[in-house]
Amino acid sequence: MTTYNNSGYLNPAYHDYETLEIDRREAPAWLGVRAPQSPTAQPGGDDASGGRWQEERQGTDESIPLGFISTQPQNPPWQHNLNHTTFQIDPDAHDRSAASQISSSMSANMTLRWRGVSARRLSLFPTGDPSHLFPEDVIRNELDNEEQDLVKELIGLSTVDRIQAVRALPMSVREKKHVRSQVLAFKSSKQSQQRGCCADCSESVSWTFRRFGSGLKAAGQALELWQGTMKEISGRFGTSVLTYFVFLKWLLMFNVLSFLINFGFITVPLLVYDPSPNIPPNVSFRGLEILTGVGYFNYTVMYYGGHSNETFAGQVTYNMQLAYFLTIAIYMVLCGLALIVSMAGSFRSNYVVADPSSDSAWQLLCSWDFNMTNERAVRQRKNNLRVQLKESLSENAQRKLLTLSEELSRLCVHLASWFLSTILALGCGASVYYLCLYEAQMLAADAASWSLLEEAKTLLVPFVVSLINLCVPLFYSLFNKFDHYSSHRRQIYALVVRNVFLKMFILGVLCYYWMDVVAQNVSCWESVVGQALYRLVIVDFLFLMLGSFFGEFLSNVIGTRMLPRIGVPEFDVARNVLELIYAQTLAWIGIYFAPLLPVLQIFKLFLLFYLKKISLTHNCQPPQRTGRAAQMQTIFTALLFFPFFVGALSIVAYTSWSLTPSENCGPFRGLNNSFGAVAVWIHTLEDISGSQWVIWIYQKIIKSPIFYFIVTLIILMFIYVFWQVTLGRKELIALLRKQIVKEGKDKMFLLEKLHSLQTSHPNATNKQANQQQRIGQFSDRRSPGSQSNSSALVQALLARQQFEGDLSGGVPVPADISTSSGLIQAMLAYQRAEDLNEDLYRMPDGRLSSFAPLPPPTRPRDEDRGTAGGPGDPVHAPGALEQAMQARQRAEGADDLSSSAVMMQVIQARQQEERLQWTPGPPHNPAPSGSSALIQAMLARQQAQNEFDDGY
Amino acid sequence: MGNKQTIFTAQQLDAYQDCTYFTRKEILRLFYRYRDLAPQLVPLDYTNHPDVKLPYELIGSMPELKDNPFRQRIAEVFSEDGEGNMTLDDFLDMFSVLSEMAPRDLKAYYAFKIYDFNDDDFICKSDLEKTLNKLTRNELTEDEVRMVCEKVIDEADLDNDGRLSLEDFQHMIVRAPDFLSTFHIRI
Repeated sequence: MTTYNNSGYLNPAYHDYETLEIDRREAPAWLGVRAPQSPTAQPGGDDASGGRWQEERQGTDESIPLGFISTQPQNPPWQHNLNHTTFQIDPDAHDRSAASQISSSMSANMTLRWRGVSARRLSLFPTGDPSHLFPEDVIRNELDNEEQDLVKELIGLSTVDRIQAVRALPMSVREKKHVRSQVLAFKSSKQSQQRGCCADCSESVSWTFRRFGSGLKAAGQALELWQGTMKEISGRFGTSVLTYFVFLKWLLMFNVLSFLINFGFITVPLLVYDPSPNIPPNVSFRGLEILTGVGYFNYTVMYYGGHSNETFAGQVTYNMQLAYFLTIAIYMVLCGLALIVSMAGSFRSNYVVADPSSDSAWQLLCSWDFNMTNERAVRQRKNNLRVQLKESLSENAQRKLLTLSEELSRLCVHLASWFLSTILALGCGASVYYLCLYEAQMLAADAASWSLLEEAKTLLVPFVVSLINLCVPLFYSLFNKFDHYSSHRRQIYALVVRNVFLKMFILGVLCYYWMDVVAQNVSCWESVVGQALYRLVIVDFLFLMLGSFFGEFLSNVIGTRMLPRIGVPEFDVARNVLELIYAQTLAWIGIYFAPLLPVLQIFKLFLLFYLKKISLTHNCQPPQRTGRAAQMQTIFTALLFFPFFVGALSIVAYTSWSLTPSENCGPFRGLNNSFGAVAVWIHTLEDISGSQWVIWIYQKIIKSPIFYFIVTLIILMFIYVFWQVTLGRKELIALLRKQIVKEGKDKMFLLEKLHSLQTSHPNATNKQANQQQRIGQFSDRRSPGSQSNSSALVQALLARQQFEGDLSGGVPVPADISTSSGLIQAMLAYQRAEDLNEDLYRMPDGRLSSFAPLPPPTRPRDEDRGTAGGPGDPVHAPGALEQAMQARQRAEGADDLSSSAVMMQVIQARQQEERLQWTPGPPHNPAPSGSSALIQAMLARQQAQNEFDDGY
Repeated sequence: MGNKQTIFTAQQLDAYQDCTYFTRKEILRLFYRYRDLAPQLVPLDYTNHPDVKLPYELIGSMPELKDNPFRQRIAEVFSEDGEGNMTLDDFLDMFSVLSEMAPRDLKAYYAFKIYDFNDDDFICKSDLEKTLNKLTRNELTEDEVRMVCEKVIDEADLDNDGRLSLEDFQHMIVRAPDFLSTFHIRI
């Protein structure tokens, strides 16, 4: 019945599930609007919706009739009526369409929102429900159902889940509020039915908890540090630069935690019992200590040496040895856990195996930073994006052109630069070691009697180390200029890895020197190491300041004033983050030797934040290339954990388990190792009854290697199992991907098949409008739809096709239908059209009223039907039909006639017949017919007309 | 509750809290931001649900949006009338979706709508061209635009129908974790 509207058939969207769903919704929505068009409707409303129909049709959805099929298969009168208005040319349509546009777009909007909800819940449209005869009801019911389903679903959830679910609904707040109020109303009505004290109570308790929770959240937000600054930075420089500041803030939190723990459990008890530091009389504060950390500070609680080994016995006994050991141990464990948790979370959400192939899709659709609020930054970002897109296009072209020699040379450059950078790092490490030895020789005397100059000499090692940290990365970046990697990300990773190696070598050498040389030769060696770390932290801070001043400020001046070619420097996130990681590692190593080092670190990070912010806003421009910031952040967290934190942890563990504490100072004096403090404590516990389990734990678990062995084995086993699971999942992912692609191919194949089926009924569908025009030119007043039903036409078609068959393709046939199959199809189409027509004629009166001019033409059509039964029975046909028959016979019989002559005759005959039949009738809307095959008949006619045109 | 404000009733605030990712304080702050756009239009008393709508020109002039190349689309997608004129509800909705707390699927859904310029539920080539032109200030040649669009569709279109559906888009978003931090407007 929707044959006429085959314009939808060529639309690929027609076969797409998504579109189907929308269409189903759109169609009834529109039907709902059109519902007043029943016999009682006012004509005005009719026109408007007619215009709107036009509008919808001209828009994207040409496949709406399917909506009718699926929703209301048993309601043909409506369909006809609708179709009737479709082709009615409404003079006001264009004026009114503007007015109706708003409402239509709004309804589309609503539909979409609902669609999002329903798509998620996979609710399907109730097709062909006999109880919903009126489309208005259908749509209303549909919406109600969806909403009720949603509400029901929400009622089933717990309060917290429900709130989350409501928040995540893709609807507007107004609709959410509506849904929420419904859920609440339902809940309260349910409660009033079974009101009990208990339910009331629990409700109010949960409500109070929620209030409390949101209050806490608000307080947390108020306390959040640097919110405005963060916003400003992300607005001006984008998310990737913000990564650095977020990282800095995170480290700051670590240090605050560390400070609180250390200060609370080590320093405060010590100060409570022994407030005055026992400083020798010949040591005074000279000012240089702030830089070097020796002298005065040496006797304070700053370092290991300043702590006593006593057990303070006041109202409570406080074992200082144990407190020192446990505090450090617990802090390290906490740090490790926090790092592991954040790293794991970061990996889970961020480190998705990035497809290098999906780069431009990412750049175009995911990379735009909605945080950006600065006009200049936005402009620059657009420029950068353009450059990057161009590059990626040219890269694609270039990649294929790489020859073998180029590959080789590139490989050589890689090797050379890696070799050079490793040698450089090793050389730096060695030089630092010898420098340390030299310093030890130079400053052999007792620290208390140092002159200022000697004290200043202690700054040599940290100065050199920081200088190395400042300058060598510059060399590395220089290498990177020559060393080209295939992707920007690899380039950054190479740089990061080289810098990490450098820092690891230096720190490793320093630690070796402290553990091996200092620990053997110096009395109270822990404090000396603490001082060395203090100096490193301080000098590192100075160099960071200098680095941002000279590095960024000077290059800004050079870039803007002297050599504009270089341009304003970029903020190098990777280098800066590595500097932070290095500084944090120093603080971690130092936690054992100088428990108050975190204070210094807090100051350092705090100042650094403002310093970097100022330097950034004044000197830098946003980075040209925007890497994937989230992945970089994950990598940085992982780096912080793996070589650096684990390194620091193992050094601290080695110190406390294997090294002998100094004899004369510190909490562990007199013990074989720091861990001995625990053994001593356990020993004291043996006297106390009821503490046997602690001893058991200590003996059987902590001290037994078997336990660790078993734990390690179990962990390894788990790792192996999870590894296998991961591999399996990877395979599964690959399979699923393949399946998606296959499904896509299937879809394409089916679509193509449909296309080819359609095109084998050449151009029938999308040319309908054309056709009509042509017919209009050719013979002014006719109705194409009804014509297609006339048997005379089919016969003419038969004639032509047979004739064409005789000529064996001598006449160009528009599409390659084999004659016989075309014939069969035409016949089938005809019969189906006939069936439909019969339905049509049994239409109720409402339909007839709008088809008032129809009756006269139907009579000849009835007669046509008679002829259709047997082609050889032309008696009832009008004269024109007879002519057509004759023409056909002639065409069949006369092979000797020239092709065009026969054609012309056929067509002329048909033409005459058509005129005779239809001239009196007003322009009609096509009587809808049910099969696409009928189109073939029409098409054939069209073809004939075309040829006829040509003939003239 | 000891709150001196009378802009919203407690129920209204609760409803807003349950429907957006904001705390009470943030909702009030956003209300003041909204009101500052047009103090003469927006009343200080919202307890009787006044029907106020700010035109797009005002919404688009917010510092958070004014330099965003997609500001008009954002406003259109989040406004109920589809033309960028926003009620307070729409306004809260917009910043709730663009806030840090919103889940990925919600963000992806709205991002998809923002990029789907012609509202046909697919990101097709013409949508991509529009996006590209907005992002690059029309400085790419026609050829380049075409190539980039083809490449994007080639990369992200899983079912090979020549355009990106919401599923394709979500699949791409899953592999782009940055999206969560970049599709985010700080208030």
